[in-house]
Amino acid sequence: MNLAIDRTRCDAHGLCHALLPGRIDVDEWGFPVLRDVIVPAGGQPAVRRAVAACPSLALYLTNPPPITR
Amino acid sequence: MTALLHRPLPTQDPFDTSAWAIGAPRLLAGLQHVERLDVSTHLATHGPLPGTDLAKLLAYLDGGGLAGRGGAGFPLATKLRTLADGPRQVIVNGTESEPASRKDRVLLRRTPHLVLDGALAVAAAIGARDVTVAVHDEQTAAAVRAAVSERPDARRLAVKIVPGGFVSGEARAVVRALRGGPARPPGRRTPPTVDGVLLANVETFAQLAILLRLGPHRFAETGTPAEAGTTLLTVGGAVGRPGVVEIPLGTPLGIVLAAAHSAEPQAIVVGGYHGSWIAPIAQIRLSRAGIASAGGTFGAGVLLVVDHATCALGELARVTGWLAGESARQCGPCVFGLPALAADVQALAMGNAGAVANAFAHARTVDGRGACAHPDGAARFVTSALHLLHDETDQHLRQGGCGRPTLGRLPIGATR
Ligand code: SF4
Ligand code: SF4
Repeated sequence: MNLAIDRTRCDAHGLCHALLPGRIDVDEWGFPVLRDVIVPAGGQPAVRRAVAACPSLALYLTNPPPITR
Repeated sequence: MTALLHRPLPTQDPFDTSAWAIGAPRLLAGLQHVERLDVSTHLATHGPLPGTDLAKLLAYLDGGGLAGRGGAGFPLATKLRTLADGPRQVIVNGTESEPASRKDRVLLRRTPHLVLDGALAVAAAIGARDVTVAVHDEQTAAAVRAAVSERPDARRLAVKIVPGGFVSGEARAVVRALRGGPARPPGRRTPPTVDGVLLANVETFAQLAILLRLGPHRFAETGTPAEAGTTLLTVGGAVGRPGVVEIPLGTPLGIVLAAAHSAEPQAIVVGGYHGSWIAPIAQIRLSRAGIASAGGTFGAGVLLVVDHATCALGELARVTGWLAGESARQCGPCVFGLPALAADVQALAMGNAGAVANAFAHARTVDGRGACAHPDGAARFVTSALHLLHDETDQHLRQGGCGRPTLGRLPIGATR
């Protein structure tokens, strides 16, 4: 599975970076930069928690790899 | 070279429909004699459209290798193969949002029946009831409506105007606008084929109408072994003869520049403002592969000459600023990153040391981080220019400029 961000929803709350510092950095404006998007099949509890925590419902898991980074 | 007659329309419409061809015209055939092919001249020029089904269409496409003629160059055959089951729809994307591009509107205004033939053939092959032609401007819509009314299959064709803007010509933004939503790309990148929508560029449908008539063998009599047929370019910038040009794929750049009465070039912008700056090497072959090996992208076939009279960095700064303003303002990295990138390029043109590194860093920051490819395209446009304009950049850093004015060789937002 792949971790992706709907950029039209993301409001740079930065929660995902706080929860997944190894996978997600932030740019100079606070918007997330995905470093590692590949999530093992079945997911990882930490990744699922971050997806559920995103206040803007921007962070999501998807099966076909999205083109976004 | 064939000059194709051009008589300006007797209206206030400033749109220039000049067109010419190197080699025998295919898409533009018949336009040596008239401004516009009506249905009877169309049939007299091209003959009737042979019947098709999906199997024949795919066999022809596989034999003819027809890459999409929109910006992305996506193969039509792949779209047809990945189309979801259920109700299907054909959309002709005639929005042509690239400011320097004119080829799609020239086709829709001057030889519309070729485009409609191709779209109806696809509709028949995939079982779609009707075809929608999406355009940005009233004059093009009127031209297509006039063509539709001449046809016996008129009730299967609809013409719709969707809101203008660079990003609103993106495939998914067009689909969304046609469904009554905002003309902005949706946040999740799923292709329209997932919803049974077959959307392709105007020229792609026109090429298909030629392919169906000629068959793959004759279609491949011109072009390169890997890329069959002709292509349309929109040539502009510092040329004496701007316009839409039909060329055999693989024609050398030098031949097109000579035919367009180009000034001595400093650089060439290919593929439009999501495209790249390349060195003006006469031997570069104008095909997808040829331009890729020169470090560029074919995009929607735009070819702009930047001559020695103008400040190339000034031209770059102008277009980068325009690109920042064209953001649909939905995605943070695009909304904040493109203005930052534009400011870097502006600072660079003013001779600010450090601006080069900042521009490269911001280009990397925005690349791939929007809901659509707008930031990626802007990043490519700037980085390709900075790689090419090394000497100009040095000169600006040392002397604060190059002493040349910025003449506006690269048109921005000219036709809206
Ligand atoms: S938590 Fe959600 S809204 Fe916040 S930065 Fe991450 S993706 Fe964006
Ligand atoms: S990337 Fe930019 S242009 Fe594309 S949808 Fe997002 S904000 Fe709009």
